[in-house]
Amino acid sequence: MEWRVIKLRPIGAYMNMGIDEAVMESVRDGRADPTIRFYTWNPSAVSIGRFQSMREEVNIGRCKELGVDCVRRITGGGAVYHDRNGEVTYSVIAPERLLPKGIRESYREICGWVISGLASIGIRAEFAPINDITVNGKKISGNAQTRKDGIVLQHGTILYDLDIKAMFGVLNVSREKISDKAIKSVEERVTRVLDYSSVSQNGLYLALLSGFVRNKEYKMGELTADEASRSEELAGSVYRSDQWNFSR
Amino acid sequence: MEGSAKQKVPGGKLISVRISFDTLISRVEITGDFFLHPEEALSCIEGSMAGVKADEPEQEMAARVRSAAESHGIEMIGITPEAVASTVKMAIRNGMESNKA
Repeated sequence: MEWRVIKLRPIGAYMNMGIDEAVMESVRDGRADPTIRFYTWNPSAVSIGRFQSMREEVNIGRCKELGVDCVRRITGGGAVYHDRNGEVTYSVIAPERLLPKGIRESYREICGWVISGLASIGIRAEFAPINDITVNGKKISGNAQTRKDGIVLQHGTILYDLDIKAMFGVLNVSREKISDKAIKSVEERVTRVLDYSSVSQNGLYLALLSGFVRNKEYKMGELTADEASRSEELAGSVYRSDQWNFSR
Repeated sequence: MEGSAKQKVPGGKLISVRISFDTLISRVEITGDFFLHPEEALSCIEGSMAGVKADEPEQEMAARVRSAAESHGIEMIGITPEAVASTVKMAIRNGMESNKA
């Protein structure tokens, strides 16, 4: 099976979510090969998990002041601040048969591709179930997965040069979330690629690319015209809407 | 009455519950950073507690959630039926206490 790989480019929050869903549909219908896509978020954005409350998780007023977009993902998991210069994000969209059957096992598989990419720039990362990747016990990558009609979507971020103060400005971090980790500061839980390597953001992308395509047949590709127009439709009608973003 | 509670499931994720109730539970809303597949089915879990007595024992409530999950083919990751039930009961207690005050 040949994979389509879409190279890193900056894209807005609503389109990023629209593209993921549009590609899920085209892979489901056999109109596209399984797809690996890399992107950054421009403008910077906050994404929240499918079951989170936008008002509880996000400082919406601060986001408006800073021009930070806020969007609900179709995947579960937590709220993430996507600084436009501070991370590389990937999406993997493939039929279930190409990945380990269980959800937990398929997290391990795809996170292994991230870990392999980080290893190529000298960063020794580990999978931290359920859905994180850590370096020296600190989180460097969060990942989230959904499955629909036999198609898996997993997307995840790899922190490159996170502006931690900006992150705390836009997210409402609850004490309950960190209580069982016996630490006072969320800052102590998070690390970034620049703490371990002087690689550029594009260099991080190339490293991740090498990890993702290892042992796969692939070709570099683009969205089809149908996928691009469907993505725009979903971005406008669903992901930009208050009905979706404030549904909880 | 209205109540709310949240807790971090040990080794799992955060679950938060908002609840409306009197003798019976009328509405439950569950939020958090957990995973649940298929995602659309969270409303089945929430709905499984509507109309249930607010003083139902936690174990029975957990069994009710487990049964709803099984009948809808729901897989929970980062939360459990027991965690859902205990957070609901905590929200009921919180609601009763703030009603007294």
